[in-house]
Amino acid sequence: MDADSDVALDILITNVVCVFRTRCHLNLRKIALEGANVIYKRDVGKVLMKLRKPRITATIWSSGKVICTGATSEEEAKFGARRLARSLQKLGFQVIFTDFKVVNVLAVCNMPFEIRLPEFTTNNRPHASYEPELHPAVCYRIKSLRATLQIFSTGSITVTG
Amino acid sequence: MAARARCPECGSGSLVEDAHYAQQQLVCAACGCVLSEGLLTTTYTDEEHLREVAYSQSTGQKEQLSRCLQRGIRRVQDLCKVLQLPAVFEDTAVSYFQRALQLPAFHLVSLEKKELLGGCCVFVACRQHRWPLTMGTVCSLLYARQELFASVFLSLQRELGLSVPALSLADLVTTHLNSFRLVQPTASVPVPFLEDKEQLLARTMAIVELASETWLVTGRHPVPVVTAAAFLAWQSLRPGPRLCCPLARFCRLAGVDLPPPAHLRLRELLEILLGMASQLSWLRGFRLDKRTVVKHIGDLLQHRLLLLKRAFSQQDGQGQQDTAPGQGSGQAPPSSPAVAQRQGCPWAGKQQRGGSLRPLLPPCLIHPRKRPRPAAPSAPAVALTGDEPISDSEIEQYLRSPEEIRAFRKAKAW
Repeated sequence: MDADSDVALDILITNVVCVFRTRCHLNLRKIALEGANVIYKRDVGKVLMKLRKPRITATIWSSGKVICTGATSEEEAKFGARRLARSLQKLGFQVIFTDFKVVNVLAVCNMPFEIRLPEFTTNNRPHASYEPELHPAVCYRIKSLRATLQIFSTGSITVTG
Repeated sequence: MAARARCPECGSGSLVEDAHYAQQQLVCAACGCVLSEGLLTTTYTDEEHLREVAYSQSTGQKEQLSRCLQRGIRRVQDLCKVLQLPAVFEDTAVSYFQRALQLPAFHLVSLEKKELLGGCCVFVACRQHRWPLTMGTVCSLLYARQELFASVFLSLQRELGLSVPALSLADLVTTHLNSFRLVQPTASVPVPFLEDKEQLLARTMAIVELASETWLVTGRHPVPVVTAAAFLAWQSLRPGPRLCCPLARFCRLAGVDLPPPAHLRLRELLEILLGMASQLSWLRGFRLDKRTVVKHIGDLLQHRLLLLKRAFSQQDGQGQQDTAPGQGSGQAPPSSPAVAQRQGCPWAGKQQRGGSLRPLLPPCLIHPRKRPRPAAPSAPAVALTGDEPISDSEIEQYLRSPEEIRAFRKAKAW
């Protein structure tokens, strides 16, 4: 790859994880009975509810904590979380949409070149950690940004944080 | 016994402590009068005050360590003895274990995890001292699941802030081949299958280096690559009687486990070797396959740098191949044999074959198994803010109708 070449890199956000609280106790059995697109996991005490638009999956606990995953942007995540809160309101719970927070964003990027991971790890210690027996990618941590990058030999990079 | 100031017999003041048959006596030095005698036997109360080394200080030192810590340290020491590690490794591992067990992250974990923690400390100590020990070996010694071992190892690395150097492939090859039983004659190994250890090691190392240059090692578990490389090296050193021996039988004779990916690594190595063999001038007339190419591994390794450049396109790939013949004929000076060789004959030879050079890329890019990732969705016409109003009709689709609720209740799903 030449230094002068102007290659645009596409960074694609594939997942946004957010949490919010309903400030009320939720009857999981009632949600499982009266809600559609719901999976009730009685053994672990949670309910999974899937929305079509936006395409997100919500994990609901009886304490009122809800985790939403699957959105492709922070705005979409908030919209989906509000839709879910509204659905719970319709089911009869006194839901108050509070403490909304985006906790994790996962993005993928492809480099136009391959990367020799052992040499990369040697040149980037202590940030880079490479254990081929465990995972085929180098784990590169940026403490200041609280981000973790998974760097594969094909040039694909997954950013989490 | 209270010492008297003066002797009652002679009134002398010179009194001495003397031991007669281990019995303490207070005696007058002038007349020899015994003023008082000590006890031959002592009571527990007397001993309590005369003890020099307290029990808790002598054998009780270990009692200051908790039972869990003592057991863990013993386990670490046993593991070091089984692996025949030097004493400094054991000291390092024990110190890591003691430090780790004081941290809240490891203090209240299950006993199984504490045992794995000891194994992780030994593993980290070995890696820091450049001792080639794989996770698979430690997991097999501890009868542990690799996923659990991996999570404990990563937690230990994070909590203690340890710097763990990468596993050296050269050391791993040496250690792995040391466990092979093909170097000494035994009843189970036929004579044609015996091999000199140094020759096997040198050739295996060369094949492993070739594998690392051709993207076969990056991102992969190292042991299957080493096993496949050792198999090819062993076959190539005496192809005649050994070509008919498959990889599984080789591993059985050598007394090592056959890791499942070794077959795939072997296939990839043979593909690379066949590509290189097509560029070796004295082999061009032959039709080689994956069995016959093994006979020529020695020659291929000797000229591997040149053959890799000729047989595979580097990073620029196809573009260079398309423009090279045109440029080579017009611009290459005849006095530059290297340039002519690079741009003239190989391209011409390749063009005669009617194929283009295979790019030197990781195998997962050449043979992709997954479906290509769908293109990024185009930006919506109206950008979401997250605070749009939500109509009731949108929510109705996520709620069951009363009839459905009655049907579910009737079915008594729970």
